[in-house]
Amino acid sequence: MGRSAAQPPGGGDRKLIPVLKPEEAQRPYTVTELANEIRRELRPLTALLLKGEVSGMKRGTAGHYNFSIQDGLSRLDAVLFADDSRRVTTLPEDGQVFIFRGRVDFFGKTGRLSFIVDQVEFDDVGKLRARLEELKRRLELEGAFDPKRKRSLPFLPHNVALLTSPTGAVINDLQETIWDRYPNMGIVLYPVQVQGAGAPMSVTRALRRCNQEKVADVIVLARGGGSFEEMYAFNTELVARAILDSRLPVVTALGHTSDRTVADMVGDAECRTPTEAGARVVPKKADLLTSLRERRRRLEREVGRRLSREMDGLKSLRMRLLRLLTTLIQRPADRVARAQADLAKLSPVHQIERRELGLREQQRRLRAAVTLRLQVSRGRLAATGGQERIERALANRITEEARRLEGQRRRLVALSPESVLTRGYSITRDAATGVILRSAAQASVEQKVTIQLGSGTLGGRVEEVEA
Amino acid sequence: MSEQLTYEQAMDKLEETLKRMESDKLSLDEAVKAAEDAQKYFRICVQRLEEARKRIEVRAETEPTE
Repeated sequence: MGRSAAQPPGGGDRKLIPVLKPEEAQRPYTVTELANEIRRELRPLTALLLKGEVSGMKRGTAGHYNFSIQDGLSRLDAVLFADDSRRVTTLPEDGQVFIFRGRVDFFGKTGRLSFIVDQVEFDDVGKLRARLEELKRRLELEGAFDPKRKRSLPFLPHNVALLTSPTGAVINDLQETIWDRYPNMGIVLYPVQVQGAGAPMSVTRALRRCNQEKVADVIVLARGGGSFEEMYAFNTELVARAILDSRLPVVTALGHTSDRTVADMVGDAECRTPTEAGARVVPKKADLLTSLRERRRRLEREVGRRLSREMDGLKSLRMRLLRLLTTLIQRPADRVARAQADLAKLSPVHQIERRELGLREQQRRLRAAVTLRLQVSRGRLAATGGQERIERALANRITEEARRLEGQRRRLVALSPESVLTRGYSITRDAATGVILRSAAQASVEQKVTIQLGSGTLGGRVEEVEA
Repeated sequence: MSEQLTYEQAMDKLEETLKRMESDKLSLDEAVKAAEDAQKYFRICVQRLEEARKRIEVRAETEPTE
C-alpha cells in the first residue's frame, strides 16, 4: 500500500488534533488521493467474466448505456461505453441474464464503483432459442408467415435498395449480379450494421428510410451468413416488425446458416446468396429484349397481314364494281340506241320523206300505167279502126285519170311538209346554204338559221349545241 | 394513363393487343387502333428497359435520434 507510514503532513501542533493518537498520526488522504488509490487497487480486476441479470437499462446522452447487474444478493452498477456498444453482439436487456466481460473501475467524481462492460454474451443460448421459438409462434399466429400476405416483387424495378454492409463480398456480388443481368439498373445502397448490438436498430432504420424515400421499389437485405449469435439481429422482433411494416417487398439473402432467421420467414422472398437475390430481383435485360423483339415481329407481321388482306379484299371489290358498272352502263346505252332508232323512224321529217317517196313511186306507176294504156288503146284502135271512139275514150280516160291525179294531189298536199308544219312542227335550215338541219351536230354556235313554221319563217342564231 | 404503366403492365397490354389482332375479330378501324396501341406499349416497354440509370447511390446512415 503505497503511502503507508509516510511523513506526517504539515508538521507541528499535534495538540490541536486530539482525536488522533500520536502513533496514528499521519497525513490524511485527500479524497482524490484515496479515489486514485482505490482505482489502483482495483486494476487487477480486469478482463473479468461476470454473470448476472440486467436491470435499469438506460441509454446515456453520449451513446453509452447504464444498467445494473445483480444476482439476487448483490448488485453492481455497470456501464457499456458507446464504442464498445457498437462492438458487442447483443445489447443487454432488462430481466435477462448475460455473461459480461469487463473490468471494475471506481469513478471519483460520483464515488461509485462500476463494472465497465466491453463484451456481452448470452448466458444461455438454449434459453435464447426458446425465446426465438416463442417469437416465431407469436408471428405465426398473427399470420406473418402466410404466403398470401407476402408482397410480390416488381417484375422490373426502377431501382433496387441494398441493405447491407457497404464493404465486403456481399455488396460486390450483389452489384455484379444485378449489373450483369441488367446493365443500367439503379442501385441504392443503405449501409447497415449487419451484426452487433446496433444491428437491429440499424436495419430497422434503413428499412423505414427505404419506405419513406421510395427511391427503390424492392429491398434486398443481405449479409454473408454467420453463427447463431452473429445472426442475432435478424432474429429480433424489431427487425421482423420492420420487415412486416415495409410497403416495399423485402428479399432476404442472409447467407448459409443452419437455421432460417425470422427475417427470412417474414420476408417476401428468401434467398441464400447475394447472387441468388440479385437474380431474383432483376430480370435479364437480354431476355426482355428478345421477347420484345419477338412481339415486334408479331406486330409487324400482323399489321402487314391485315393490310394485304384488306388490299386483296379491296381489289376483288374493285373488280366486282367494274363488272357491275359495265353492265349497268351497257343496258341503258343499248336502250338509248334503240330509242334513238325508234325516234328517228317516228320523226315527221322522216315520215314526210317516206311518203314523198311513196308518192313519187305512185306517180311513176301512174305514168307507166297511162303510157301502157295508151299503147293498148292505140293497138285496139288500130284493130277496130274507130278513131273517134278512140279519141273519146281517150278523152274520158284522161279526164278520169286527171281526177284521180287531183285526188292524189290532194293527199299529197295533206302530207306535204307545209301541212306537217301547220301541225306545229318546224324545219330549221342553215341560213346561208338552205340545207335542212337534221341533227344538232350539223349546227355550230353563232350559226345563222331560218326556222320555217306552219305559217311564216323565223331568222335566228344558234346559241347552244347539244349533240 | 399509359405513361404510368410498368414494364410488366405494358408487356401484358402488348401481348393482349397482339392476341386480339391475331384473332382476326377486329374491324379495320379497330385493328388500326390496336396496332397503334401495340406500338405505344412497345415503346413504353423499350423506354422502361432503358430508363433505369446505371448508378449506385449510397445513403449515409442518419444518426440515431432516439
